[in-house]
Order: sequence, then C-alpha cells, then structure tokens
Amino acid sequence: MESDANLWDRCIRSLQAELPEQQFNTWIRPLQAVEERTVVRLLAPNRFVVDWLQQHHLARIEELVAKHGNGCGVVIAVGSRAPATNEAPVERASRPSAPEAPPVSSRLNPAFTFANFVEGKSNQLARAAASQVGENPGKSYNPLFIYGGVGLGKTHLMQGVGNAMLAANPRARVCYVHSERFVGDMVKGLQHNTISDFKRLYRSLDALLIDDIQFFAGKERSQEEFFHTFNALLEGQKQIVLTCDRYPKEVSGLEERLKSRFGWGLTVSIEPPELETSVAILMSKASAEGVDLPEEVAFFIAQRIRSNVRELEGALRRVVANSRFTGRPISVDFAKEALRDLLAMQDRLVSIENIQKTVAEYFKIRVADLLSRRRSRSIARPRQIAMCLAKELTNHSLPEIGDAFGGRDHTTVLHGCRRIRSLRETEARVDEDYSNLLRTLTG
Amino acid sequence: MNQMVLPLQLQDNAVFSSFLVDGNETLVAFLIDAVEQGSGHGCWIWGAAATGKTHLLQASCALAGDRGVYLPLDQFLEAGPGILEGMERRPIICLDSVDAVAGRGDWESALFQLYNNVMQAGGSIIAAANSSARKCEFVLPDLLSRFSQLPAFRLVPLDESGRIKALQLRASHRGLTLPEETATYLLSRTRRDMASLYDLLDRLDLESLKAQRRLTIPFVRDVFSDLD
Repeated sequence: MESDANLWDRCIRSLQAELPEQQFNTWIRPLQAVEERTVVRLLAPNRFVVDWLQQHHLARIEELVAKHGNGCGVVIAVGSRAPATNEAPVERASRPSAPEAPPVSSRLNPAFTFANFVEGKSNQLARAAASQVGENPGKSYNPLFIYGGVGLGKTHLMQGVGNAMLAANPRARVCYVHSERFVGDMVKGLQHNTISDFKRLYRSLDALLIDDIQFFAGKERSQEEFFHTFNALLEGQKQIVLTCDRYPKEVSGLEERLKSRFGWGLTVSIEPPELETSVAILMSKASAEGVDLPEEVAFFIAQRIRSNVRELEGALRRVVANSRFTGRPISVDFAKEALRDLLAMQDRLVSIENIQKTVAEYFKIRVADLLSRRRSRSIARPRQIAMCLAKELTNHSLPEIGDAFGGRDHTTVLHGCRRIRSLRETEARVDEDYSNLLRTLTG
Repeated sequence: MNQMVLPLQLQDNAVFSSFLVDGNETLVAFLIDAVEQGSGHGCWIWGAAATGKTHLLQASCALAGDRGVYLPLDQFLEAGPGILEGMERRPIICLDSVDAVAGRGDWESALFQLYNNVMQAGGSIIAAANSSARKCEFVLPDLLSRFSQLPAFRLVPLDESGRIKALQLRASHRGLTLPEETATYLLSRTRRDMASLYDLLDRLDLESLKAQRRLTIPFVRDVFSDLD
C-alpha cells in the first residue's frame, strides 16, 4: 500500500476536481486520514458528517481508495487524528483523589486568574468573594453565586476560583462546565445508559463550577439531576460556584427549591465597568498580548464602546490586527480609522433622536412629552436623563442639545446633566435607569 | 463541428491568491496568520452579497487543510443545527451566512455551545454574515456578546476598476488572458455583481476552449449575442 498521505492526497485531488468546491470544503476537507494495515480510516468531525458521507460520497471514496491503494478499504468514524493545537494546556486533567473516583478534566482556561482580573468599583465585591472562595474552598461562601450581564467577567472570576484551587492543590478535582454542556452530558448519559457514570463523576468533585445557569430554565430533568448533585456536593463541603445573567429569584423556569438553595451562600453582582476600569482592562489585555497601547487610545476606545468587556476586547483586537499587519504604531487617529465601521454604527445608534425615542420607551412616555414644557417629575426626570445621555454619548454641544429638546437654553441642559450626575450618586434607582439606558444605546 | 471539451480546465479554487486584496490587505494577512499560526480566536467578516466573504472563508479552509471545515449555515436550515455538534474537533471553523440562523433559538444555542467549545479547545471561528454581529438580531445575548469578542472586518464592494482587476485575476487563475477592454465591455453590458460576472467567465472559459479563440470583444459578442 502507498503511504497514506500520498494515497489520501491522491484521492482528495480527484474528489476536489469532481465536487463543487463548497461541498468539498464541507464534507471532504475536514476528513483526517489515518493509516491502518489494509484500510484507510477517515475521521470525521461528527456523526452528521459520517452519515452524509455514507449516503452521498462513500461509494466514490471507496472506489478511489481501492484504485490508488491496491484494493485498500475505507472506514469512516467520528474523531480526530490528534488533539487541536492548543488543547493540551486547556485541558488540565485533575488526578483522582480516591482510587474509585473517575478521572476528570477541569476544562479550565489557565489564562483566567485573579492576577489578571482587572478590579474596579463595578466588580470589587465579586472579585473579593471569589478570591476568598479560591483560598478556602467549601468553607467561606458556598455556593458562590455571581450574576450580571453578558461579557462582564463572570466566567473569568469563576474559573479564577478553579485555577486558584488547582494552584494550591494540583490534585483537587475541579470541573468547570457550561450549563448547556451539563445538560448535554446528562442527555447523553440517559441515551447511552451511562447516567450512573455521569452522577458519579459530578458527585465526586471537590469543586463544581457551572456557568450561565439561566440555561437550566425549563429543563426539569436537568434541574432535578443538578439538585441532587448540588445537595451531594454541599453535604460533602465541596465548593459550588454558579454564574447567571440575573439575580436567582428572577430566573423564570427554575424550580423554587433550586432558587432558594442558590441563596444559601453568597450572591454577588458584577456591573458594567466604569470608564476607568474599562481603560485598565484594555491596558491589561494589550499588555498581555505584548502590545504597547497608549493610554489615550485606551480612553478613546473605552469612551466609545460602553456595552461590555467582550466588545471592548473585539475592538482592541481589531486595532491590534491593523497595527500588526500594516506596521503602523497605534494612535487615536489610527484607532479611529481601524474602528471606523464599528463607530459609524454606534453613531447611528446614538443620535439625539434615538436617545429621545429610547428614553421615552423606557419610561413609557411620549417623545412629545420630552420636548414639551411640562415640568412634572415623571416627565422632567426622564428629560434630564435623556439630555445627560445626549451629552455623554454624542458630540453635540449644549446649545444643540437644548435646541433638540424643544428649544431649551443651554444652561437648562447643563443643570439637567449636573442634576442627574448628582442623583446617580445618591439614588440607586436613577443610577440603575441611567445604566440600563446607556447599555441599551451602546450595546 | 464543435471541438469536444475535455475536463482539462485549470482548477479555479477559492484560494487567497485568486482574491483581489485591494483594500482588504489587513483582513487577508490576519486570516493567513490565523490559519497558519493558529493565532487569535478568529474574526467576524461582514459585507454585502458578492463581496468575497465565501471566497475568503473557503480560502481559509483550503489553507487549513484537514484542520478546517467550511459550513454554509443557510444550507443547513432544514437539516438543523446537528451539523455543529462536535465541530470543535477541527481547529479552524469557517461559518458562512451566520445571519441566516439569527433569531432561531435552536441554532443560536448550538452556535453558543460551539463557540465556547472552540475557544476552550484553543481553536478559531471565522464567521461571515451580511451585517455586523450587532445587527444580526440574535435572540441570545450571550451569543451576540461572544461574537462581539471577535475582531470585525467589513468587506467593501469593489468599484469599477476593482471589478475589472478581480475579473482579470480570476481569468488568469484559469490560464486565460482577459484584456481590459473586454472586461470593461462585459461590465457595461451585464449584471455587475461579482457572482454574475464570474458565472459569465465560466461560460467564456468553456466557449473559448471549444472555439480555440482569445477573449476579444468580437468573440465575447458572438458568445453573448443576446447581450447587445
């Protein structure tokens, strides 16, 4: 038999000439050939691809392999020849602490540590709690429940706990799992009659970290299983860390008994980062990639992208890519150019008209009310918030904003902005409304 | 009598060298680096139809060899998101027409899971859509936020001279010489989107081989007598 690389290369050259390019790239390209004595084993990424190949292309593949490989056969199966390039450092297997415990892969990303988590007012409490749990797992706060909007660092903190535990004790049985995967593993366990293995694995852990538990909503069987796992771990004083996009009581479709248990430990929130924290995050991420990011550029990006940390990261990566591949240094003008499309889209979203419309919808009043002379608090407060948002998010001057709000004087706009800034310090409700609107308009 | 045409045309695969990079140098360099070095986490490519998104995705896939897979999601709508399961086994996942599945809960959930698994395995997702991730109307905020993490590159439609150059480049990859005046003639008399122009080129390629003639304006006029 010819060497398989040659054999399969010859086959794919024929297939490439015969098949439309798209079909080739979808079904044939991802096949990985492995040499065996009388057969070529083709490894496909999933069952779907295997089924498709068997129905549509197997006959031709067999023909080609037989022709080029002197009668060699073909076996198609799901799998990979070797793990993906960077899989090894990610999959940090924890050794079993007892001989009967099944081996567990932590699935932790070693990059998520407390050392590189940028702390600010918005996440201080959550970071302190997570750090405490990392040092004293199963003892301080159990479960630790971290909630907040998307892209604010919940996963980072949660994995920080796991990585801290493994750093202190490499034999600790830590497992990070997204709730969707927990559900998927459980369903597979039921389908393949291996549910007892599933139970044994999860109940043998020293720490279970489950991300985005809002995805459990409405999945009763998974909640049931999770409930028992939760109880077993807590009884054994093993650590549980959970994240969610909202306060546990607000997750609809979750059983009450679960919600109440989530409150047994400590519940902490993460808020969107304030400007200074966003700048620090950008500087830290740039430094981690070996990029020299001038502070004024970090300020520029942080001022313009306010929705969440992931979007900040996306913008930074775009600027860095442009700099790396053009060889030009990063400056504010360079960043403006690199982010032109993103910023243009943002500008369209944050016109004064759109701010007025969004604020009016939020407070369930009419845009005409915002522009009117009415001074009742139910109208005046939203109007001041809208003016303050217009000042913060657009480049319009105070007189222009005044004009857009029914021809008001610029001093009225200035007064409104100062009033809202001061109220945000003292009234949580005003601060929350403002933050919600800011996120809606910039996210 | 017409000459019989044997299947001996040059391969015209979507590879980086057959893509007109004008204005998209950074994106192309980024993709080559991402595929060859396995660096980064991928990117989000967006732009109007026929701006070259599919070409770039397939070129990335071709460069990746058996480490890559190309998945045009719009063609799997009926089959469902099962095609995504376990795809993180390949480190370079090229997802075309992601916007086609936006708003469909089962797809979004599967994409979300795939994204997490790919990132966890150290792979890359190269996604393409007609609009930016934010404009895609995803119902799952978690998915939108994850796609926002990828650097976004917009492909701009080619102008007149760009289309001519792109057409000539594609022709040269097939071993054909397309004179500028012939390309200009084609552009002034046919649908101007690149997909239609490449279809015309396919037909011209075949006809010129049969007739053993060059791609002159009279020849093109003969082939497409219905164009005038």
